[in-house]
Amino acid sequence: MITVSGLTKRYDRRTVVDDVSFTLEPGTITGFLGPNGAGKTTTMRMITGLIPATSGAALVDGRRYADQPNPAAVMGTLLDAGAVHPGRTARAHLRILADTIGVPARRVDEVLEQVDLTDAARRRIGAYSLGMRQRLGIAGALLADPPVLMFDEPANGLDPEGIRWMRALLRGHAARGGTVLLSSHLLSEVEHTVDRLLVIGRGRVVADAPITELLASDDVLVAARDLPALAGDLQAAGYRIAPAAGREPVLRVSGVTAEQIGVVAADRGHVLTELRPADHRLEDLFFELTTAA
Amino acid sequence: MTTTTLTRPVAAAEPATTVPPAIRGRRPSIARLTALEIRKSLSTRSGLGMAIAASTLPAVAVGIIFALGQKIPSAAEMLAVFGTLVAMLTLAVGVLATAGEWTHHTVQTTFLTVPRRHRVLIAKYAGMALLGAAISAVVAGSTLAVAAVAAGSAFSWAGTGAAVLAVIGTGAAMTALGAGIGAAVANAPAALTGTYVLLLVAMNLLRAVKPTWADHADPLQNMADLISRQGTASAHIALLAAWVITAILAGTAVTNRRALA
Repeated sequence: MITVSGLTKRYDRRTVVDDVSFTLEPGTITGFLGPNGAGKTTTMRMITGLIPATSGAALVDGRRYADQPNPAAVMGTLLDAGAVHPGRTARAHLRILADTIGVPARRVDEVLEQVDLTDAARRRIGAYSLGMRQRLGIAGALLADPPVLMFDEPANGLDPEGIRWMRALLRGHAARGGTVLLSSHLLSEVEHTVDRLLVIGRGRVVADAPITELLASDDVLVAARDLPALAGDLQAAGYRIAPAAGREPVLRVSGVTAEQIGVVAADRGHVLTELRPADHRLEDLFFELTTAA
Repeated sequence: MTTTTLTRPVAAAEPATTVPPAIRGRRPSIARLTALEIRKSLSTRSGLGMAIAASTLPAVAVGIIFALGQKIPSAAEMLAVFGTLVAMLTLAVGVLATAGEWTHHTVQTTFLTVPRRHRVLIAKYAGMALLGAAISAVVAGSTLAVAAVAAGSAFSWAGTGAAVLAVIGTGAAMTALGAGIGAAVANAPAALTGTYVLLLVAMNLLRAVKPTWADHADPLQNMADLISRQGTASAHIALLAAWVITAILAGTAVTNRRALA
């Protein structure tokens, strides 16, 4: 579990993280979204103590990160896949980490296999691609099988298969009761992976809720053989309509149920080709929330 | 219509591992961290190469000197020359152990694993001192071994024991000094350049202008004098200790305050 309360970071007169509070429960994957410079990375670095907070507190499993006797065994972190010595081999890097944390040496082989780097384990990290370094960083975070995982842009450099693999990894971790905080700019990937969304804009939390709740909408999408005529009838019935985004001509009708639309269509003899609740697209929601911040 | 199957099934989420939860409550000891810092220094090509070069080249050089018929008057003077030269290499080993972490960003991984920075620094300073001592001991042993075979009867062995202890002690001190400077500067190229400019250029300029001041300030000169038993041992030790302590304090202060953005 991660508990953040009133976390704030100021540099001179500039406030980059402003009174951020949230709680991440075990068994959940939380997507941490925000535009560049919103404060995501600063927040994550304050949680781990790499940057001192101006005020507020961040607790991991009930304690400050630095007060944990063995923090890497409580929270596995991937903040920067480039934070590895290029002159070391992957195996040497993970062995040193494992020995620091107190994890058996065989665990190094396990995580290397888990991230599909066994064949490249004896190569120097300087020769690795971005995707390989990313997977190495994930391997390091998994060494102690910690209950909490915090990843900053973990999909960087991963191919579609790698992204799918990582999604399965994080889902499996949450299913076993783990906590995951994941920041990403790949909105489509976040949408398929997370249970909750935590959106930050200009240093402040602008949304913190289950993703289904944030993406739900009161609107209904409808299409018909004679859409202009249906549009006219719906407007005459007092409903607010707008064209929906997309390739096919579809209407978005606000503040109405599918049944109500069905009644209008049936009364006027319209043949409907589509009738379903409209969800917000995460991209639209993201811009809506972060622009308003 | 043909269909194409996916080339490889996605691996399922991995089952729970056998890592015991008891490890979560265990903080790594300073002794373990010190051993790990030594291992980190020797786990890269640059670090290992420098340690090997520092340990082996002096014996080769001594062998060549004797083979060419050059005279080295005593073991103490031989150890003073080569001990000082090696210290200039182990200084770099120390610098890379600290500043190298900042340059390669591995300091992030280090402080995520051991967030109490003072524990990391204690381990680095102690580890580098031990590594410097070990390299210096190898240098002392190997050069004396070559001298025992190749030196003539005029070669003096007086004071060898004290000279060996001084080589090992000053080697440890200089490597720890490098670690302190590296921690204070937090940039490997700048720390190395600055260190050698200070010790080789600035000190020699000072010697040209104010030789007495240089005698009291130059750590390499004081190291050589201590090994060869010139001057007052306690004064040399005090000067070297002042350099090491100043560098360590500066390195610790900078490291504790520096944010990893």
